[in-house]
Amino acid sequence: MQISEIILSSLLALIIGIFFLGLARKIMARIHWRYGPPITQPVIDIIRMFSQKGISHGSIFNFGLIFSLTGSFVVILFLPFGKMCPLSSGGLLVILYLMLLAPLGIALSSGEAANPNSSIGVSRKFLLALGYEVPLLLILLAVMTHYHTISLIEIVRIQANTGWSFGSLPLVLSGIAYFLILPAILGIRPFEISGAAQEISSGPKVEFGGKFLAFSTIQHALHEFIGISLFVNLFLGGWDLFGILEPISNTVWGIILGIIIFLIKMVIIFVIEIFINAVFPRFRIEQAMKYLWKWPTLLSFIGLLIVVLFN
Amino acid sequence: MDRNKICKWLKNPGKMAHKYSFHVVYFCTGCGIIEIPPFITARWDAERFGIIPVATPRQASLFLITGYVSTKTLKAIIRTYEQMPEPKYTVALGSCPINGGMYYDSYNTITSLDKYIPVDGYIAGCMPRPEAIFIGVTHLWKLIDMDKADGYQRYREDYVHYRANQEQLYGKMDWPPLFSEENI
Amino acid sequence: MMNELKQKLLSDFNDIEVNIPEDNRMIVSTKKESVLSILIYLKKLGYNHLALVSCNDWIDDNEFELIYIISAYQKNDEQYQDIEKSSIIVKTRISREKAKFITIIDIFENAEPYEREIHEMFGINFEGHPRLTPLMLERNYKIPPFRKDFDTNKYVENTFGKIPSIKERKEGNK
Repeated sequence: MQISEIILSSLLALIIGIFFLGLARKIMARIHWRYGPPITQPVIDIIRMFSQKGISHGSIFNFGLIFSLTGSFVVILFLPFGKMCPLSSGGLLVILYLMLLAPLGIALSSGEAANPNSSIGVSRKFLLALGYEVPLLLILLAVMTHYHTISLIEIVRIQANTGWSFGSLPLVLSGIAYFLILPAILGIRPFEISGAAQEISSGPKVEFGGKFLAFSTIQHALHEFIGISLFVNLFLGGWDLFGILEPISNTVWGIILGIIIFLIKMVIIFVIEIFINAVFPRFRIEQAMKYLWKWPTLLSFIGLLIVVLFN
Repeated sequence: MDRNKICKWLKNPGKMAHKYSFHVVYFCTGCGIIEIPPFITARWDAERFGIIPVATPRQASLFLITGYVSTKTLKAIIRTYEQMPEPKYTVALGSCPINGGMYYDSYNTITSLDKYIPVDGYIAGCMPRPEAIFIGVTHLWKLIDMDKADGYQRYREDYVHYRANQEQLYGKMDWPPLFSEENI
Repeated sequence: MMNELKQKLLSDFNDIEVNIPEDNRMIVSTKKESVLSILIYLKKLGYNHLALVSCNDWIDDNEFELIYIISAYQKNDEQYQDIEKSSIIVKTRISREKAKFITIIDIFENAEPYEREIHEMFGINFEGHPRLTPLMLERNYKIPPFRKDFDTNKYVENTFGKIPSIKERKEGNK
């Protein structure tokens, strides 16, 4: 049962992540009043990239990329997808640690690439991660304190009984703060700083060609999936919709409907983020850090205080 | 997608994917740089064909030479072309890479690009309109289907002759040959 | 205003020709020895912007003609009111065999790239120029390319035309 959950969860996350990439390009094109590529365009891109003979710069170059891809896959196994959650020991703390494996892997391979553009891109990536980790930690502390648990499955189950945490009074500020830092976690504009094509020749990806670029695209898709799925699980109730799925929660129909409701919530949040992506230019890294350490940190800190006082 | 296309996709997915996803090197030489922004922006949208510009040659598969080529630019073009991963295609816009074009008697521009790097197709015009560039892209699809767009294989097999041409133009070159006898 | 300047110039210098083709434009033709003093004189009167240094090749007269275009964009003297919009062209002729002249960097500092380009394209040597290295070209030419006896068709045939196509090379090898 668990093996099938692991395989199914990873496969579904991969498919949904790549679908999100295609959906992003299509919606951006329609906002620009043009037709845009077909939604399956990232699949065609990845097949083409796999059939090209990229150039490797050494063994750490290969290893770093595999390392970051593995890191993203492992985080997916800890996130409840619908009702399935293959690995559940450690919950939120493990997720918080493992989310930093992906930038570390990219840093290893771009260090081996010896291109100044990739060094600049990686340093900005880590600075941005430093920027959003501070409010993220405060938000997670607030959620864990309110529900008295670190397990993500428990949080989703309690929300199925008592309503979404976004709507419950102590956690409103934390929810708003998470929504404010979500573009930084996903790496979309205005925080598309590390992968900027025009400024630093696409940052860490500058020396990737062929299959390395394909892996990098897959890793980017998985990273976006993780960011949105964490938000939906923590604040928007996960796989349930005001408790209507509680009676059939253990049947096959329950699992399938849970996945569908989860996906609908993810698509809505993703489309809102694409609208934000279409409108904003890019920040500089110091503007991004100033923003991330000002209002979202303040809101999440006040949210933490409210939760502590409430309990 | 009808049955014919599905069969083609299943038989050789790499070739079909090469047709429908061109990542273009953003290397703008010559006069054609003014025709590239209309080509990729909202009015004549090139992204519906899968064409998108990327920042580095390492990520690209199509190289557009957009106009006349002076001897200084040719050095940069050769270095960029050699960095792209294979399979790669080259398309030359305008009449200057074909036979020198308007600058046929200039002391500084080359008269025929095919002697130095392999070119898969030319799009005639001075400069061609975006509609002509789209027709050129569909011709390139046909060539890829027929396995005739083999510029990169010609470069690999006849590298001795290409290098001899480059050295006859420049004298001593600053970088060593790309393919030696061992790794062809 | 230009007429007053013309009278002033004619009275202060000899061997000089001044004509005014239209309002606010003046062409001064002089000998090559008095170019520097005329430029310094005009600069003191407010024409302190060097717009261009150019060159003409009169191959029939066996002479080069150096052209300096200066204009005024700052009000310097109360006598001259509409001084912002006028420009003056100063022309001299130098010999074509031994093409050399003196640099005007001491008067106008921004003449450095223009003189470098003229040295590269015409072959005129400017004495006192700190850096007469090639600016745009990267090959060596026997005759500088902008001279009128540089045969472009023959050069293209000898350099680019002699390089065979790949097919010809492969057939020649066999």
